[in-house]
Amino acid sequence: MGSDFNQPQRQSIVGILVMFVYSLQGYAKALWPILVIWIFKFDQINKFYLLIGIIVVFTIVGIVSYLRYLNFTFYIDHKNGEFIITEGIFNKTKTTIQLYKIQQVNINQSLIQRLVGVYELAVDTAGSNKKEGDIRAISHELALDLKVRLLENENKKNVNNDDSISTSDEISIEKTIDSEAPFIKISFLSLLKIGITSNYVKSFFVLLAFFITLFDHIKQITGRDILHDENIEDYVDKSQIATTFLMLFVIFFLAVIIINLVKTIFTYFDYKIARQKGSLLLSYGLLNAKSTIIKPEKVQITSITQNYFQKKMNVLHLKIKQATGGEKEDHKLAIEIPGCDKLEKDSILKLLFQKIPEKGVMLKPNFRKLGFSVFLTIGLPLLGFYFVRDLIIEELPTIDYFVLLFVLFIGIIQFFAFKNTRLYINDDFLILQSGAWDVTNKIILPSKIQAITTSQLFWHKNINIGSLTLHTAGGNISFQLGNFTAIKQYVNLWLYEMETSDSNWM
Amino acid sequence: MEDFMNETIDTTQLPKFEDVVFSILHPNYWKVTLISLAVFFLVLAIGVGLVFYFNEDLYPFIYQLSIVFAVLLLLVFYFSWISFKKKGFAFRTHDVLFRHGIIATNTLVIPYNRVQHVALHEGFVSRFFGLAKIQIFTAGGNSSDIEIPGIAKEEAENIKQLLMGKIQKQL
Repeated sequence: MGSDFNQPQRQSIVGILVMFVYSLQGYAKALWPILVIWIFKFDQINKFYLLIGIIVVFTIVGIVSYLRYLNFTFYIDHKNGEFIITEGIFNKTKTTIQLYKIQQVNINQSLIQRLVGVYELAVDTAGSNKKEGDIRAISHELALDLKVRLLENENKKNVNNDDSISTSDEISIEKTIDSEAPFIKISFLSLLKIGITSNYVKSFFVLLAFFITLFDHIKQITGRDILHDENIEDYVDKSQIATTFLMLFVIFFLAVIIINLVKTIFTYFDYKIARQKGSLLLSYGLLNAKSTIIKPEKVQITSITQNYFQKKMNVLHLKIKQATGGEKEDHKLAIEIPGCDKLEKDSILKLLFQKIPEKGVMLKPNFRKLGFSVFLTIGLPLLGFYFVRDLIIEELPTIDYFVLLFVLFIGIIQFFAFKNTRLYINDDFLILQSGAWDVTNKIILPSKIQAITTSQLFWHKNINIGSLTLHTAGGNISFQLGNFTAIKQYVNLWLYEMETSDSNWM
Repeated sequence: MEDFMNETIDTTQLPKFEDVVFSILHPNYWKVTLISLAVFFLVLAIGVGLVFYFNEDLYPFIYQLSIVFAVLLLLVFYFSWISFKKKGFAFRTHDVLFRHGIIATNTLVIPYNRVQHVALHEGFVSRFFGLAKIQIFTAGGNSSDIEIPGIAKEEAENIKQLLMGKIQKQL
């Protein structure tokens, strides 16, 4: 096994094929309008020229891929602690990544890569929002080996000076990878449970949009409006309308559940979590196998989400945010662990934090918070409705009932959201609880805070309430309209803690 | 819980960020703001004027539109004035504070050991008044970065040196 990364080395030889397909994809994406026109005019095009054209394009792309393969090398510079990738045919690019800055090393496999049996290795750092190092074709053993090397290097600087010890160390690491049994396996049953109990709202709206466009198309094609067709009322008499609607609703709901279920199972099939030198090694996926490493010290925000059904079934959803460049894409870097039970959650949290976070002193938001969200989500829409009511009421006489339903529904949601919004503070942990149906607990360590914003509207000065935003490298956490004296006191405490200790926030 | 009781006693004795006296921005910065706003509204007025010039149908609305324009102008100037008055900054031994906001009072605190880097920015108009803007970046994203405008150039340089020294010491 060529596990010596000291010398510049190329990717797997089949990498040419992967690069070829990727380049072809790239060109196809860039030129698709022309391609579409060609397909429609297929009969009019001289077949001979087309064939020659295709051959020429394929040869050029092939040569380019081969040259790219030749010019793509990577190695680890142990002396300076750097991972170096050089690439490019005419414009040479040399990417140097400091090993200690590496956040994550992901090993993924797309369909093409799966066909030729290679993997993609992507290196992520905190510095920027895009992947810095990307090796498109590498064998699995080599990828795992490189990953270990990239992530463990900082801890073994001294060992690396001595070659013999270093190699023996490498072997032992390899063995540990192979022998390390995953300590958590998300069972198929848990995935089923999570699949049928989460993301209702999101899938509901996706499906709603889908049906509306579908009806729209049918209307355009047949010239008949299914929703307002009087014929339907002829077929079914009044008593049956209610049952029909109920049936439709149930079918709709089932569709939402099934879509969720399939999506969850495809993404997270065979979810395994293994421990590796204090880090968490995750691997999952049915078609696109993915694997990720989480280093506990780089974790910024840990969210635990659970709704009523999930509580009854003892499953929950974990989301871990690591340090990012603060760009908009940070949600992509969130690592999700669906369907663990309480014990598994506790053992993961123990690995991340060394102990299970406990909820400390509770801060509640002022009732004005409820008033304000009700104003935003019910008051303003009602005001808008007041102006357009006369226009709609002719088309849809039952609109008032719908509005009443809307107000009730949103009202209940806002009430529970208000009831669940809590900030728990103790010496080691800050836990923000929020959400109406899906109750989320976001856990952060006070030492991970980067900056603190306090905010107060001038008419809230007398009643002494205000808001707090904690900025971390993995996103912000906000708590609105709490007791301002308490908030200020805690801010002073956190500032004191941050400024007196030189804690490692990433 | 006993531990926690200890902490509460401590918190009352901690230095309070809310009692810090803020330095206000250089008076010339208000002139800078005025000039930028004036330029903005001049360009806007010229644009609207051109639309009117080429569109005779709009002539009847010219009166209402000028009222809207004037009200908008006054409002923007009024809010800019409040915003200018509210802005303040303070450098403590271990952190930097920045106060801003129009209807809300926001106070952003960054400890020096969380600062990633510091930059000095001189705007086109600001340069005529010898003013500069200090930008302080953290790893917490855009919302947690501080931009202090309207500081005299030499003072800004000094502050930057001070911050750089603080950051170096942390490393």
